[in-house]
Amino acid sequence: MLKNYFKIAIAVLKRRKFFTFISLFGISFTLTILMVATAFMDKVLSPDYPDYKRNRSLYVTSMEFKNSKEGWMNRSDVSYYFLDHYVSTLKTVQKIGISSSAKASNAYVNNKKLVIEYKYTNADFWNILEYKFLEGKAFQQREIDNAELVAVISEETKKDYFGDEQNVIGKYISADNINYRVIGVVSNVSKTLQNFCADMYIPYTLSKDYKSTNLMGGFGAVLLAKSEADLPKMKREYDLMIKKVPIPKDFDRLYCNADPYFASMTRRIAGDGTNDGLTKAISIISLFVLLFLLLPTINLVNINITRIMERSSEIGVRKAFGASSKTLVYQFIIENLILTFLGALIGLVLSVIVIYLINGANIVSNMRLSMNFTVLCYSLIACVFFGLLSGVYPAWRMSKLNIVKALKAQ
Amino acid sequence: MFKHLFKLIWNKRKQNFLFLSEILVSFLVIFAVFSFLTYYYQNYSKPLGFDYKKVWSIYYENGELTKNRDSLAIFYENLNKSLKSMPQIEEVTFSSGNFPYSDSFMSTGLTQNGKKFNMVSHFVVGTDYKKVWNVSLLEGRWFMPEDLVSKNKGIVINETLKKAVFGNTNATGKLIGDYDDKEKMKVLGVVQDVKSNGDFAPAGNAMFVQLDSGYYRDTHNILIKVREGADANFESQLYKFMATSVKNAVEIKHLDQMRDSKNGVTIIPMVIFIIIASFLIINVALGLFGVLWYNINKRKAEIGLRRAIGASGNSVSNQLIMEAMILATISLIVGCFFAVQFPLMSVFNIPASAYFIAILLSVIFIYVLVLLCSLYPGKQAAAIHPAIALHEE
Repeated sequence: MLKNYFKIAIAVLKRRKFFTFISLFGISFTLTILMVATAFMDKVLSPDYPDYKRNRSLYVTSMEFKNSKEGWMNRSDVSYYFLDHYVSTLKTVQKIGISSSAKASNAYVNNKKLVIEYKYTNADFWNILEYKFLEGKAFQQREIDNAELVAVISEETKKDYFGDEQNVIGKYISADNINYRVIGVVSNVSKTLQNFCADMYIPYTLSKDYKSTNLMGGFGAVLLAKSEADLPKMKREYDLMIKKVPIPKDFDRLYCNADPYFASMTRRIAGDGTNDGLTKAISIISLFVLLFLLLPTINLVNINITRIMERSSEIGVRKAFGASSKTLVYQFIIENLILTFLGALIGLVLSVIVIYLINGANIVSNMRLSMNFTVLCYSLIACVFFGLLSGVYPAWRMSKLNIVKALKAQ
Repeated sequence: MFKHLFKLIWNKRKQNFLFLSEILVSFLVIFAVFSFLTYYYQNYSKPLGFDYKKVWSIYYENGELTKNRDSLAIFYENLNKSLKSMPQIEEVTFSSGNFPYSDSFMSTGLTQNGKKFNMVSHFVVGTDYKKVWNVSLLEGRWFMPEDLVSKNKGIVINETLKKAVFGNTNATGKLIGDYDDKEKMKVLGVVQDVKSNGDFAPAGNAMFVQLDSGYYRDTHNILIKVREGADANFESQLYKFMATSVKNAVEIKHLDQMRDSKNGVTIIPMVIFIIIASFLIINVALGLFGVLWYNINKRKAEIGLRRAIGASGNSVSNQLIMEAMILATISLIVGCFFAVQFPLMSVFNIPASAYFIAILLSVIFIYVLVLLCSLYPGKQAAAIHPAIALHEE
């Protein structure tokens, strides 16, 4: 049966080449954009180098003080003191990786200016995150305790600062007029991972403000639980601990959340201390996708109806010989899905090209989009959804066709 | 004639409904694109108001500096002198973090005769700020060091704020209340609008306040104007000098590069948006073309009959084009109803003029699109030979 439908669909496609071209153009272009968008979302959301343990991690990024009477609000990153004094005492936290937000510094090499963004980190940061070391190794607790001037640099920085030199371990890199000894070189991290990408990483004991006892500061942390099952327990313990943190004067509320990765992002963009913004972000994204799909869908419906009405005699005959509306609807939806899949194949080729271009242009520093299995799965769902959306209404209209009228038209 | 056409359209309302909704949705998409483009163009065509090309910003952490107010003032005075004595530097000024293209905002409110003016950008600037940026003065004067000790705090406002508060009258010398109207500030002068958030964003309301020694503890930024010949070599010297002076982290940025990245934030999404929208429109155009073409093929008999009883080819193709145009008009009326809500409710803070221009442009665009899509099918219809068309029956 399916084989017959397939044959009919191909025959119909061959009949009016111009209409086929319009349909395929619309479908392939729409799906290309959806696929590239999915590839981007996948890059941002799924575990990626160096942050592979997302399913058992929580992220602490910001803290919020509120004065509910006056309406004042203060929001900032957390301090090293807060992470060290409160968070690291939690029993469910196996390891805590602390890093500061990126700070920029300039270096001048051969009359060329380099902007070096550096982060302060602790020793466990290197144990939780699986940075790929091309040379050397990370700094350990010993170097941190001695506040040694050592640095781990990224591959990009190595190339910009040292040029074509093969081995840079033990060489010195100067930032903020301080010379750091390079002890490791890591692969570049995509700029989309704000918490983990930097050009240079140095021990937190070199920072000027790690001793300050304010709750707010320039740090953030990733908390690693023993297993995925321990995550809710860790979150509960964390929330209980937050309730005991003393609130600074002038304020009466303190919010500081440890969120899973996606929620920590949506909270930053769409939420606040009390609301993680997850629902808001998801509904905005789905609304946007639906609006975007609206125009190509109406267009395709329009064309499909035109094509189906062309076949009214065929439909009339089939109906006259007893085909039920259901069979006909089923057939036309299948035909439309075949068309959509053809379009999706073209779209796939196009999106591979677009992704190649985006990667080549390096629009977001070090971001490498890829067509992987997850992206393909989502694209398949999008494709079926689009096919159904644009096929159901014409098929329903067709099945309502009056036999006499359909046959009379000839 | 129109009555006939309406009747024809009404008879096929079911088929036409999809056609109508397609034009409606395309109109709304085009309207969105044109609204942004008009808005950006309106802002882009206004003068920039300052020179950014030779300006560098120096950011430094001030945690290691002395906390004593007097010695801090002396430190800053010396720093200013040593920077100014460098041959490559023309002007030096201290500034709050929200200097142009800096991605940092500080706003406050003002009160005049009980009326509140919110979202006024608040720039805290040194005396030589005007020289560094080369901002032109429209009336009054810029700050002088003596102003710091006068009774009412002196402020300089920009043109937009002046128009909002004082209308077309002179503002110089007038008093204006701060956000809760407790203190009065005196307007010393009015400067030209400065588009400090990039070429595509409006200047907005802005006021400048002179930086006094009490603000030194919160000061993190120096702006300098360099002469020709200030190269990377000089920059690295300057960097070393600053790093030793403040004993802390320093970053030097060039304002022309900051401007490029600031403009990029507007341009890149806009280009992506335009590419997507134009693909959608090509898609729609092809679709309209296909549907019209098909309809004409289906009406061969009708057209043949009209031709046989003496209608000219032109009048046949005109009829078909007019039908398409009437359909477009119906959609546009509905579309305009939605579009007009934007300026009426002043959504997104875009001025109403931008919306109205956008509506006009989109209406023209849709008419041209529909006309183009119906021209060829219309011509084909005109070429139908009555004998052949009727023979098929």
